[in-house]
Amino acid sequence: MSTPPVTAAPPEAGRQGHYAGGVTRLVAFAADVGASWGIFTLALAGLSFAINLVTGNQVNLGSRQILALAGLVIWEFIYFAYQWSLGGKTIGMAVLGIRVVGRDGDAITPRQAIIRTITLPLSFLLFGLGFLGILLHKDRHAWHDRLARTVVVYSWDARAARLRWLAKQEPATPA
Amino acid sequence: MEQLVESIAERVVNLVLDAIDINAIVSQVDMDALLAKVDVDAIVSKVDVDSLIDRVDVQKIIDRVDVDEIVNRVDVDQIVARVDVEAIIERVDVQAIIERVDVEQVIQRVDIDKLVEQTELGTIIAHSTSGVASEVLDVVRAQGVGLDDFVARWVNRVLRRSSEDWPPGPAKLVNPPVPVPALPLEATA
Repeated sequence: MSTPPVTAAPPEAGRQGHYAGGVTRLVAFAADVGASWGIFTLALAGLSFAINLVTGNQVNLGSRQILALAGLVIWEFIYFAYQWSLGGKTIGMAVLGIRVVGRDGDAITPRQAIIRTITLPLSFLLFGLGFLGILLHKDRHAWHDRLARTVVVYSWDARAARLRWLAKQEPATPA
Repeated sequence: MEQLVESIAERVVNLVLDAIDINAIVSQVDMDALLAKVDVDAIVSKVDVDSLIDRVDVQKIIDRVDVDEIVNRVDVDQIVARVDVEAIIERVDVQAIIERVDVEQVIQRVDIDKLVEQTELGTIIAHSTSGVASEVLDVVRAQGVGLDDFVARWVNRVLRRSSEDWPPGPAKLVNPPVPVPALPLEATA
């Protein structure tokens, strides 16, 4: 069994509108988790600093675990639901060139964005069994996609990227 | 008495006419010389052409003309082949045409949002001003797509299945392949 090659240059065929694969989605999600946690931590530190400045008391909101956890859950909900309802993509998804759309390709509705956000943790249950559908199903949907009636597609124009890539290549010297 | 004279004159004229060979006389007349003496212009100038035209029922003439048949008999290809398109184009003042076009109105009719969404024009413009960032983005995305394909191929191999007949994406986003019309026989021969 030979190893399939990994594409180094941007693919020749345009991928806009095609179902996004698991690796891109995973990396985008990891980037979103990092970004949302980073923003939350900075906001928490900023808030602690502001309270210290105003009251003069040393307050560390991060040490109040229940409060911080509740704040984190609310923040994560806002982070994902707001961005998905706004344009169908989060910061991580925008970087990786993917977006969430309805099953038929229409823009995602705010209702779908909220359902997708609430049901996202379900896909993590049983060691991430809910994500297996991204690899196995023909429309590559996870559990939360199925419940929200959404799919994730590439919004990145690979053809334009390939043109940019080709433009930056050194012209071949004639033999 | 008068009636008698008239009857005699009539009789005489008939006898004379019977005796004359008109054809012989006409054959001896030089028609060319005769016509040369006729001032055709003078005759035409005396004709009231307007009055003549007024008496012609043009509509009736037009009604009797089969325009379709005339058009069918015209070889348009031959006429077009004789037209010097280059000469016509050279005579066209393109600048004047452009000046008459309301560009503002044309632009207002363009759905810029849709254009940017479909062509990623905005991204391209943004990338043109940030070369390094665009290069990094392209590399990350290309690697992601490559790894997606790599994983998908392995999964298909392990499960011993083919995903070739799977839809690549939602129907509204993925353009269906345009069927190529069959070539005419003379073109394929």
